[in-house]
Amino acid sequence: MNTSEIKKLIMSSLREDANTREVSRRMEEEGISYNFSEKFGDKVLDKLFSAGLTVKREVEFVKYMNFAFYRIALTGVAAIVILLISIFLMQGSLSFNSFLGISDNYDESIVCLLTGN
Amino acid sequence: MIHEPYNVIEENKLVRASLDGDKKAFGEIVNRYQKMVARTVKGMLGDTVFAEDIGQEVFIKLFYSLPEFRGESKLSTYIQKIAVNLTLNEIKRRKRFFSMFTHKANNEMHEFEIADHDIEERKEASEIVNKALLAMDPKFRIIVTMRMLQGYSTKETAEILDLPIGTVLSRLSRAQEQLRNILEKL
Repeated sequence: MNTSEIKKLIMSSLREDANTREVSRRMEEEGISYNFSEKFGDKVLDKLFSAGLTVKREVEFVKYMNFAFYRIALTGVAAIVILLISIFLMQGSLSFNSFLGISDNYDESIVCLLTGN
Repeated sequence: MIHEPYNVIEENKLVRASLDGDKKAFGEIVNRYQKMVARTVKGMLGDTVFAEDIGQEVFIKLFYSLPEFRGESKLSTYIQKIAVNLTLNEIKRRKRFFSMFTHKANNEMHEFEIADHDIEERKEASEIVNKALLAMDPKFRIIVTMRMLQGYSTKETAEILDLPIGTVLSRLSRAQEQLRNILEKL
């Protein structure tokens, strides 16, 4: 098929009443075909399924982090409860001063401690 | 679990198997439709490595949007829509990128300008087609690609491009005019 015939074929595809399937078939016959590289399918699958693996790993990591967080949080709460009980047993109350360990001190003794007089 | 050879399995079975994570089933979908996608993407963007990347993106997007595919249209139409959208987005992205470096009064910038002296006496058919397509305005180029390379009718083209048939017909006549001018120079 020479240049002018190809041009005619291209133009014919745009006619409203054109048999577009036939034009497309003839185009292919003339070597006007488009293809991706040989390993195209493998590349797509690699991208998809290796990405899936990363997502899965990320999900597992988050799951482990959540588990670790609960364990740490529970241990922390237990430590706080033990601390509160020990303060109550030692100081006899759970006031702010008991927490700071200054419930037994009077204002004058604190001034003496701070100023050294 | 599929026990038959994948290349003889019906489309909807392949879709269901892909949704269940069957890698081979999705591989078969890629295999069946990659040529169709190549025609759209390479017809619109030219035969470049970017076109191959967009082609891969089409199937990746398809994979993630398969749960939304309800089978109301043909799978090929659904894939074609994804290919058209991604390709037109890529053209817009390139246009934005190049417009940062060039100041053209005419907004209808084409990726390739035709230089008369650049055209050899004897041209390959595919070379003529590619040059003609790439010199066209993208909104006309997509119409030509759908009809000439994919063999779609006006109705099918309208469905894939989500355009009214009247719009496709008017673009078709303007595309004809533009293509005639381009082919005269080739």
